[in-house]
Amino acid sequence: MTKTEAGREDLGLRVRGMVDRAIQRGVKGFEYVTSGPAKVGLTPKTTLYGRGTLQLYHYAPLADELYRVPVLMVMATTNKAFVFDLLPGQSMVEFLLKRGFDVFVIDWNAPAPEERGLKLEDYTQDFIPTCIRKVQQETGQSDVSVIGYCMGGVLSLIYAATHADGPLKNLVCLTTPIDWKQMGLTTVWNDQRYFDVDRVADTLGIVPADFIRQMFEMQKPAQRLAGQLRVSEQMWNDEFVRSYRAFERWGDETLPLAGEYMRQTTKELSWGNKLFTGELVVGGRSANLANVTVPILSIVAEHDHLAPRDSTKPLLDLVGSNDKEEILLKGGHVSLIAGPNAIGRMWPRLERWLAVRST
Amino acid sequence: MASNGPPDPAATFRELVTTWERNVNSLANQVMGTESFSRLMQEMQRMQLALQQATSEAMGRRLAAMNMPTREDIIRLAEKLGEVERRLGRIEASLEGDATVVHDEPSRGARPRTRQPPAEYLSSENLQKEKPR
Repeated sequence: MTKTEAGREDLGLRVRGMVDRAIQRGVKGFEYVTSGPAKVGLTPKTTLYGRGTLQLYHYAPLADELYRVPVLMVMATTNKAFVFDLLPGQSMVEFLLKRGFDVFVIDWNAPAPEERGLKLEDYTQDFIPTCIRKVQQETGQSDVSVIGYCMGGVLSLIYAATHADGPLKNLVCLTTPIDWKQMGLTTVWNDQRYFDVDRVADTLGIVPADFIRQMFEMQKPAQRLAGQLRVSEQMWNDEFVRSYRAFERWGDETLPLAGEYMRQTTKELSWGNKLFTGELVVGGRSANLANVTVPILSIVAEHDHLAPRDSTKPLLDLVGSNDKEEILLKGGHVSLIAGPNAIGRMWPRLERWLAVRST
Repeated sequence: MASNGPPDPAATFRELVTTWERNVNSLANQVMGTESFSRLMQEMQRMQLALQQATSEAMGRRLAAMNMPTREDIIRLAEKLGEVERRLGRIEASLEGDATVVHDEPSRGARPRTRQPPAEYLSSENLQKEKPR
């Protein structure tokens, strides 16, 4: 076959492939718009405890032999925890279960109007300690490892700092902001001179999910449309569409926040930057990060726009732990925990670190 | 490496979308990252909240005239119920007593808690600890 003939054949194959994909886009596009929301969080679990906004799940173990120390994951207060268990094969929970961990997850419901007065004290001195006690009772183990994501990491750190003699065995902070003066656009928009957080909290009581979602989406205003353009082109690719829809659902199900909690985080963490300065007091206890002495792992993303690198960097310098490590990985705020980078890079590193500290 | 074949329109489309997204986000962040944008945004929010508050107060007066509970009344009632639930929870916890004090047990259920990390994990961990920070 001559070079010209081979080139023609190659072109023919390409054209055929393009036509096939165009047909598939039409057929699957119809399925896409007519089907219901993506099915997420499918790993079998039981709800061990629930009270108002708080939910504690226990996942069914998937290994015959477990590590001694159970793992409790703490979700950020603005989003649902199914991002930890997005899809089969794309689930951090499933990954840890298969590698022998006993996994519990703290998830949040939308706070009800009567929960508008929830504060950092409720999350760190009541909800997390209660869940840790439930995990201890369920497993018969006194030690518990905690993994906190974003604001869940902040809450876990405050818990750890105010319960230095507590049962915490290991602490993992995923994309957890410490220096709130380095939070990029969030810092600019929270400018104390212009942001009247008292009026927001007093008028709304519960800050609506739309308000929170807009704050997130405005930071990357082209992301949603670009995502829709990408998925329209990739409509033939079932795996891509499945993953896109799961992430889309997660973003759409952003949670409202208790007004009092927003007031306190804005004044204490954003304006006062007290987690960074060590002046934070929660429930009458000092939440100075120097009080944290358990082994600690901080995993941060290079291109995180919500918890930028500069905001996460000071953690290891501030904690009192001797056994401490930071892992900086490629990716963004969400892809770090549930995207392709998570599967290939983050989860194996997390598992390795936890495994040797969970016996 | 450059391909010898004709250009793939799908790949070109993907590249265009990525470039467009990056440029728009970058430009928007420059505009939205200024003090004047922050001031404008918060001023608009303040006006919206003031309107919402005025509407809510007017609605409250109408409901009171009709002898009906307002949203605030219902929330107060729910708060009282929540307090009763919390008290019940505390009573329940105190009845459980020493059950909250946990001592290490070999294992519960069928799965033993005896798993050990693979040997290569331990050796790489030791190597890391030997490295100066």
